[in-house]
Amino acid sequence: MKRSSSISLLISVMIISGYDLCAKDSTTYGKTPAEYMPYGRFFEPYRRFFLEPLEYTGYGRNIPEPENITSVKIGFIGPIIRTISETTGGITNDIPLKVNQRTMRWDGYRASHEGALGIKMLQGAMLAIEKANSAGGYREKIPYHLVVKNDNGEWRSSGKAVVDLAYKDMVWAIVGTIDGANSHIAIRVALKIEIPIMNTADTDPTFVETNIPWVIRGITDDRQMCYLLADFAFKKMKLKKVAAFRVNNRYGRMSIDEFRDAATRLGFPFIAELNYEDGDIDYTSQLERIKNLDADGVITYGNARESALILNQMREMGMDQWFLGSDRMVTQEFLDIVGDTPGNIVAGYPYDPTRDDPVFDQFRNDFRERFGEYPETYASHGYDGVSMVIKAIEKAGLNRALIRDELVAMTSYHGVTGIKEYDTVFSDRSPAYLAILEDGKFEFYSFEEMLKIKHPSDG
Amino acid sequence: MKFINMGTFIMVVLIGSLFSIGRSQENQSSNVKLAGDPYVYTEWESFTVESTHGALINDHIFCLEGDENQLWIGTEGGLVLYEDGKWKSWTEENGLPWRVISGITKSPKTGDLWLAMLGYGIARFSAGRFDHFDQMNSGLLNDVVYGVATEGDNVWAATTAGISCFNTVTGLWDIYDEKNAPMEEVWSYNVDARDGKVYVAVWGGGILEWDVATRIWKDYVDPDREMEIDLYRDDGLIHIITTSASYIDHVLWASTYFGLSRYDGRNWRGYMEIDSGLPSDFINLAVGRSGTSCYVSTDKGLAVLVDYDTDTWVTYKRDSESDEIWTAHVMVGNNTIMTIPTNLTLPNHFVICSEFTGNDLWIGTGHGLARGSGRGYWDGLQKTQVK
Repeated sequence: MKRSSSISLLISVMIISGYDLCAKDSTTYGKTPAEYMPYGRFFEPYRRFFLEPLEYTGYGRNIPEPENITSVKIGFIGPIIRTISETTGGITNDIPLKVNQRTMRWDGYRASHEGALGIKMLQGAMLAIEKANSAGGYREKIPYHLVVKNDNGEWRSSGKAVVDLAYKDMVWAIVGTIDGANSHIAIRVALKIEIPIMNTADTDPTFVETNIPWVIRGITDDRQMCYLLADFAFKKMKLKKVAAFRVNNRYGRMSIDEFRDAATRLGFPFIAELNYEDGDIDYTSQLERIKNLDADGVITYGNARESALILNQMREMGMDQWFLGSDRMVTQEFLDIVGDTPGNIVAGYPYDPTRDDPVFDQFRNDFRERFGEYPETYASHGYDGVSMVIKAIEKAGLNRALIRDELVAMTSYHGVTGIKEYDTVFSDRSPAYLAILEDGKFEFYSFEEMLKIKHPSDG
Repeated sequence: MKFINMGTFIMVVLIGSLFSIGRSQENQSSNVKLAGDPYVYTEWESFTVESTHGALINDHIFCLEGDENQLWIGTEGGLVLYEDGKWKSWTEENGLPWRVISGITKSPKTGDLWLAMLGYGIARFSAGRFDHFDQMNSGLLNDVVYGVATEGDNVWAATTAGISCFNTVTGLWDIYDEKNAPMEEVWSYNVDARDGKVYVAVWGGGILEWDVATRIWKDYVDPDREMEIDLYRDDGLIHIITTSASYIDHVLWASTYFGLSRYDGRNWRGYMEIDSGLPSDFINLAVGRSGTSCYVSTDKGLAVLVDYDTDTWVTYKRDSESDEIWTAHVMVGNNTIMTIPTNLTLPNHFVICSEFTGNDLWIGTGHGLARGSGRGYWDGLQKTQVK
């Protein structure tokens, strides 16, 4: 979709739109619109956090560079092994783990339900490494090497992975991971060890709200996507009775949080918030409840498959409300499952994959040539993340603290996912997009373009 | 590493001693006055790998455990004992299961030393032998262990996937995570046990309190439930990103990356850089010395709340990157009353931990260890002798 970048047009749209646009000054964290501020209508908080850039005040910058290295290693943590069988080399059943009083099920490897996403992220990372090496490697002398660790989900192995990458593999920075809990675990270890982590896939708003100065997030998060979804749902589409139906895990719980708060602060709190287990296929009982509540919108947060199955069952039950969701449902898998007439569907999205951008076009072609398919969001953001790390290493040299300094100094970066802006906690605050399903494909709208979408009540 | 010369050293000690018998009025704020004199550690010894000729085997100090005579030091490169001026160390070469020691506790009942090892479980060091417990051979919930504490026959381990408790007599493990404890998140970071209570700092989950007698958990979280603000100063825990808990005299001290909280069982008090002697809100560890005094390790120095009632602090830090010595700032609230030079020369004031051996104070930093002499130490405030 073509867009105008005219500032004057944008200002005109803002003036005539009648919408409350965000108070985006230096006293505002996360580009939070005034109306979505916590307690904003009632009280000025005693203290606001995250308004100043995080500092690292340790000794790390004084550590000398090593000599005689044969490769420059970058760590990668992601859910790339899908099943227990692959991980354990053939054992297909849950493994009973005896801890005296009770037997635990070794169910952690289950969590590679995100394997499809992790593999894409890995492909993007690999392509960035290969591109850097084709240009001569580190300072045109030493090849880069990606050290890959599997993220075994609920087994919470990401912390151990960071330990091994930092102390045994001696990587200079780490990229990963996707799952919110495992990403949190990884950054806590990284803080202790003092090694930079670039995350390109965890959109949980709280991920960067921990004051850890070693974390950079290279993807627009659910805070931005939820604000835009809320603007669209409540201001543009004038919905009033939205029900939430989300996956019962940390992703579903945390990522929908800002939409829930925005809805409440606009005066339209959820009329229900129900959940399902990952892997469920029958959602009838929950949807019956929502149907009986006469919701005019349903928002879901979960993976593409479950989101699509929920939508199909809604439509089969005669529920034709707006269906809102997360970026994880903006996939071909979702489109394949929902078929030709899925009704009104909108999702948040962290970038515009349809824009005209030679940088992105080149990447798409390179990726297709390397992997035989076009890149999706996890591959694209993974590529950008590793590319930023390499750029930082080239400038800083082989010192983790200095690499961290160079990464956080990149307050703007033109990657394949667009021109990214980073805030005081080193999180990508580039504008989110709306992905609206139109004629069997997702079309992408910026905030300004969303304002111009015609609503039925507009006449 | 640079050390100040002997002349400067004598001068610093002299100034510190003078402060013990009286204080200068010259720097005092016109509006805020000291209610009495706090003890100020002015006489320090600094230790690094270089200055000890390798006896301190690693400069990155993660944890300290001390009593009257011994100091156990957990480093990024192994375990170290400092006793009677002598050093002894253990690495993987002489049996230590993993070199990165993130927590230490000594059982008062058995004398055994328990070690938390970052990424490799826990170990018992007893009679010269290390016994290794990890998530594959025990009830340890995760190999990433940040802290350990002993309580009776039990050893508590704060892991990144929850809390494990090992009964050293029965050999049984209890495990606590989101399934059987009030944990919004399970990422446990620090544990302290005393007087029938166990407190766990859960990173992202606030503070958990375990009552040993009733075996019931209770949780303390940030009442405003928002990450980006603190709504009221004293409404409860400042933030749910907690890093340590210290329980003494029936008072809980809880540190976060957003400030310090104190809870006496009835009232909360919050402390931040803007309203206290804290040089930074980023707190690695808080150690209560009493119900009215707490030692706070921050990324910009050590803050000591000397006297809760009068809000009197002494904060030790390097005032600028070019300063060779640390300066003690005597403060009431966030008003500096006076500054006193010390002879502490560690090159970086990223303080990770603190501990006591008798009256002496130890701090572990990102690059080195130091001991402040507690000769003539007094608790709280002494009556001002010079008016």
